[in-house]
Amino acid sequence: MTANCSPPRIRRFTSRIEASTFNTIIQGMEFTALLTVAYFVLLAVALRKRQRTVNGPWLFLLRAFFPNWQFFHGLGPAARLWVRAQDGQGQWSLWHPVYPRLPRQASHLLHNPAVNLALSHQNLVEHLATDIHDLAENADIRDCVSYQLVMRLARDAVQGGRWGDIPLVEQPSWSSAEAFQFEVRLLRLGQPGDEQLLLSPQMPLRP
Amino acid sequence: MNLDLPMAIRAFEILLGWSLLLQSAEYLRLRALDRVGDWRIQRAEVPSARVRQGLDWLYQPAPYAGMLWLRAALALALMLGQAGLGSAVLLFAMALLLLLRWRGAFNGGSDFMTLVGLTGLLLAHVLGLFTNPARAWHVALWYVTVQSLSSYFVSGWVKLMRPEWRTGRAMTVFLDNGVYGPLSDRSIYRWPRLAMLCSWGFTLWEGLFPIALLDVRLAVVFCAIATVFHFLVFWFFGLNRFFWAWLSTFPAILYAASG
Repeated sequence: MTANCSPPRIRRFTSRIEASTFNTIIQGMEFTALLTVAYFVLLAVALRKRQRTVNGPWLFLLRAFFPNWQFFHGLGPAARLWVRAQDGQGQWSLWHPVYPRLPRQASHLLHNPAVNLALSHQNLVEHLATDIHDLAENADIRDCVSYQLVMRLARDAVQGGRWGDIPLVEQPSWSSAEAFQFEVRLLRLGQPGDEQLLLSPQMPLRP
Repeated sequence: MNLDLPMAIRAFEILLGWSLLLQSAEYLRLRALDRVGDWRIQRAEVPSARVRQGLDWLYQPAPYAGMLWLRAALALALMLGQAGLGSAVLLFAMALLLLLRWRGAFNGGSDFMTLVGLTGLLLAHVLGLFTNPARAWHVALWYVTVQSLSSYFVSGWVKLMRPEWRTGRAMTVFLDNGVYGPLSDRSIYRWPRLAMLCSWGFTLWEGLFPIALLDVRLAVVFCAIATVFHFLVFWFFGLNRFFWAWLSTFPAILYAASG
């Protein structure tokens, strides 16, 4: 009865799919099809299990070979970089966030180096947060590559660095700054407030 | 409507080559833009002294630029159907070198999917030495298909397991934090019901992507939605490389669904 109410074209389409499904999975008994079904079933089961993290320097550098394909999967804690500068009179500025916000252009679909660079810098901050979390006892975070690169990012932000045409920090000029300091804060996306994860030492701008 | 093997190979080569060409142009521009990355610091992460020494030379300005220009030229050759085994090996090796230069990834998932495409290309040419080229390409395109479908499947199912995605709240929050964000106060994506509808729509579409293999017409529909989806991801998050990297896998999916 229901099938008779369907428009003819849709009915034909669905009946073909049903036949195709039947042929592929039951009648055809194609090895490839069975393997594919088994693979996705296993994948679904694996996703429900608690996943172990495997670490190692080569694994980190070659992690592209083991993609987990979990994009934007949950509202976990997110790391944010903040910087401040000290002027010649010893006065410290307010803290300013270094977070990529750039104007959209349709041409970016073809060529988008500034935005991609900004996103890679934000990833760097996330990596530093992970390194802090995983830091071994008695280890010094300042020895980590992620720390040293974020320090360069913070220094560049204070020195007027840009992502293309957009300054890393929206603030009045810090041209007379002599020292800087950075902070990594953790926030829960979609919720107010944050917590301090790292406060760097105060460092001269021009070593 | 079926996509036959020669057509699938050509479309795959053109789209993958185009994606590589755009990436190479961006890498060339990044040399002037990036004031943070510094190989002298990053080299400490490479565990092998011998590899480190080789990379020290390669990442000097002139050899690095040479590698990027060569990559662009090979990408063009791939688009023109002139890339053989040597080109495939070189493109794969350069992808690895770029991953090492950018601490494992420059642009996350798009680097991973680019590597999938290049692995498929390499598979086709290496297997082609031992069996007939058609069979080798068949295996290579299936490899790309399974990886691409897995990416959608995993992405969809992990969202389905998260309450913040099921309510639609996660979508609004992520859009607010996008590089082109935040959303305007009056954006329709702030409407909870619409956000929930979009979330469920995209989550189910991603999670059900493997059924595209059942019928090529289904595959066309899934790939068409995927094109819109990746364009929206670019529009809100600036991820242009994702758009091209995933698009380059669609000929493989259409071919596999045509089987």
